[in-house]
Amino acid sequence: MKPEDLLHSLPTQTPKLTLNCPLLDRLLRGGIPCGTITEIAAESGVGKTQISLQLLLAAQLPTSCGGLSASSICLHSEFPFPFRRLHQLSLFYQSHIPNNPLDHIFIQPLHSPDHLLDLLSRLDSIVSQLNIRLIVIDSIAALFRSEFDNTPLELKRRSSLFFKIASKLKSQAQKFGLAVVVTNQVMDVIESSGNLRIGNSGFLCSSGRRVCPALGLSWANCVNIRLFLWREEERVDEEGGDIGSMLARRFIRVVFAPHLPDCSCEFVIKREGVFGVDR
Amino acid sequence: MEVSSLPISASQRGKLISAGYTSLSSLSSVSASHLAQDLKISENEALEILKVASRRSGLDRIDNGACAIVNGAQTAWDMLHEEESSVRITTSCSDLDDILGGGINCKEVTEVGGVPGIGKTQLGIQLAINVQIPADYGGLEGKAVYIDTEGSFMVERALQIAEACVEDMQEYNSFVRKDVRACQIRKEPKDFLDNIFYFRICSYTEQIAVVNYLEKFISEHKDVGILHYFHFRQDFEDMALRTRLLGGMALKLMKLAKKFNLAVVLLNQVTTKYSQGSFQLTLALGDSWSHACTNRIILYWNGNERYAHIDKSPSMRSASVPYAVAGRGIRNCASSSKRVKMM
Repeated sequence: MKPEDLLHSLPTQTPKLTLNCPLLDRLLRGGIPCGTITEIAAESGVGKTQISLQLLLAAQLPTSCGGLSASSICLHSEFPFPFRRLHQLSLFYQSHIPNNPLDHIFIQPLHSPDHLLDLLSRLDSIVSQLNIRLIVIDSIAALFRSEFDNTPLELKRRSSLFFKIASKLKSQAQKFGLAVVVTNQVMDVIESSGNLRIGNSGFLCSSGRRVCPALGLSWANCVNIRLFLWREEERVDEEGGDIGSMLARRFIRVVFAPHLPDCSCEFVIKREGVFGVDR
Repeated sequence: MEVSSLPISASQRGKLISAGYTSLSSLSSVSASHLAQDLKISENEALEILKVASRRSGLDRIDNGACAIVNGAQTAWDMLHEEESSVRITTSCSDLDDILGGGINCKEVTEVGGVPGIGKTQLGIQLAINVQIPADYGGLEGKAVYIDTEGSFMVERALQIAEACVEDMQEYNSFVRKDVRACQIRKEPKDFLDNIFYFRICSYTEQIAVVNYLEKFISEHKDVGILHYFHFRQDFEDMALRTRLLGGMALKLMKLAKKFNLAVVLLNQVTTKYSQGSFQLTLALGDSWSHACTNRIILYWNGNERYAHIDKSPSMRSASVPYAVAGRGIRNCASSSKRVKMM
C-alpha cells in the first residue's frame, strides 16, 4: 500500500441501492449510498426489519433498476430471523430476479460484539468470492445492550468496540463498494436528563413517547447517515358511530446525512413490501 | 522593491512601477479591471500579474532568507504586511466570516468540532469549494486536499455546493462588472471537483502514511490552499503511545501549514469525558491535540438553530453566531434578529 494509492479521483455520483420504491428513493436522493454506513433507528414493530429484508432483495436487482446486481448478507442479532416473510417478499421480485433470489442472500446469526468483529475480519474473502455488495446488521443495539454495565470503564470499552466495528465496516465498504445498513433500537428519553441533540430534530417521538437512538454519542459518531422511523397513532372516527379506531401511521425521517436535507415521508407496509405514500 | 522581484516581463514591471504599484501589498487590494485601466493593458494580462503577485506574497517570505538576520526569520513589519494582505478563505456565511476576522486563515490550523449532524462535513466541503474561488472574486484560487477518515464526503453534495458557488459568482459578475465579456465564469461545477485531492483513509496506518506523504505531495502541487483532515478515532490502550502519535501528527500538520502557506482545517468529533463524577462533552482526541490548533470553532445546537462559537483564536475575541446549512451550502441564518453574542 502506497500513500499515492489512497488518493482517489472523485466520481460524479456515488453508487446507490434503491429501496424499490420511488418515493422513498426520492427522500434519499437515489437510495442507500455505497461506501458509507446508513443507520435505521426505530422502536420495535415500526418497520426496520421490513426495510432490511426489502434491501436484501433489492441488492440483486440489475443496476439499471437501481440495484447492485449482487448478493447480500444479513448479520442478525435478533431472533428469530423472519425467513417466511423474506420468502413471501421474494415472490414479488421474480420478474427482475429470475433465479431463486433467496440463493443470493446469506444469513448469519450474531452472538456478541466480539463475534461480529471476528466475522468482519473474515468477511474480506467472502465478499469477493460471493459477490456481496450489501451488508445488513439487524440490529447493532441488541448486541450491546445487555453486555455492558453502566460504569465509565465499561462504557469506554463499549465505545472502543463501536469504533473497531465501524471502522472495519467502513474500510470494507470503501474497498468493495458495499452498501452497509445497520439497524438500531431506540430508548425512552427521560425529560429531566440533559438530552444531547443530535441531528435535525430536537426530539424524536414514537408512539407518543420521546425517544432517542440507542448506543449514545459514540455510536452516533460512527455512522454516516441516520434515518429514523416512527409510528403515530391517529384516532379515526367511524362514520355514524361513537366508537373510533386507532390507525397507526408510519413515517421515516432523515436525522442526519451529508447530502440530504431534513425531510420526512410517510410509508406503509404492504404484502409487497415497504412503500412511501404521498398524503 | 518587491515588485521588481516578480517573474513578469520587464515592460509589465516598468508599467507597474510607473503607475505607482511598488509593493506586493498594493497589488493585493486592486481588482483586475482597475489594474488593466491603470496600466493600459488587457484585463487578462492584469489577471495574470495579480495571480503571480499573490502567489509570490505567500511563498516569498520563506525564501527571503538573505534579508533576514537569522535564516527564516522575519521582521514584525513584514509579518504585519503579510497578515494584512493575506487572503482568507470565506465560509460563505458572512456572520461567521466576521467573527473569524474575514474567514479561515492560511498558515494556521483551525479545529472545528461538534456533534454528528451539526455541519462539520458541510463546512469542510464549503471550504474545499471556496478555496477555489478565483482571485478576481477575492478568493485564493487554490486547490484542496481532503483527507476523509469518516466516509462522509458525498460528491453529490460537493457538486451542489459548487453549483451554488458558480451561481453566486455569476450574480456578482452581473452586479459589479460592466464589461461582462471579459470575465465570463470559466468554471463549471465539475471543475471544482477536479481540484479536490481526495484521500480516503480507513486505518491508523494509512493515516500515518498519508500525513507523512503530504509534504512531498504538496511540494508537487504548490497550488493547494487548504487541507481538510478528519482525524481517525481509535481507542488506544496505551495512552502514552496515543499522545506521542497525536503530538507528532499535530506537529507535522502545523509545519505543513506554515511551510506551504496552507489553511489546515481539522474536523473533530465530540465525545464525553468522565471527570469530577460526571460526563462532560468535550472534543475528541484529548489535550495533546488541542494544543496544536491555532484556532478552534465549536459548532453546537441552540434550540433549533445551529451556532458557531470561536473557542480559541489568537486575534479574535470569543463570540458565537448562528449559521444555517442550506441547499446552497453554509449560509447566514435567516432569522431577522442576528444574535452575535460577544463573550
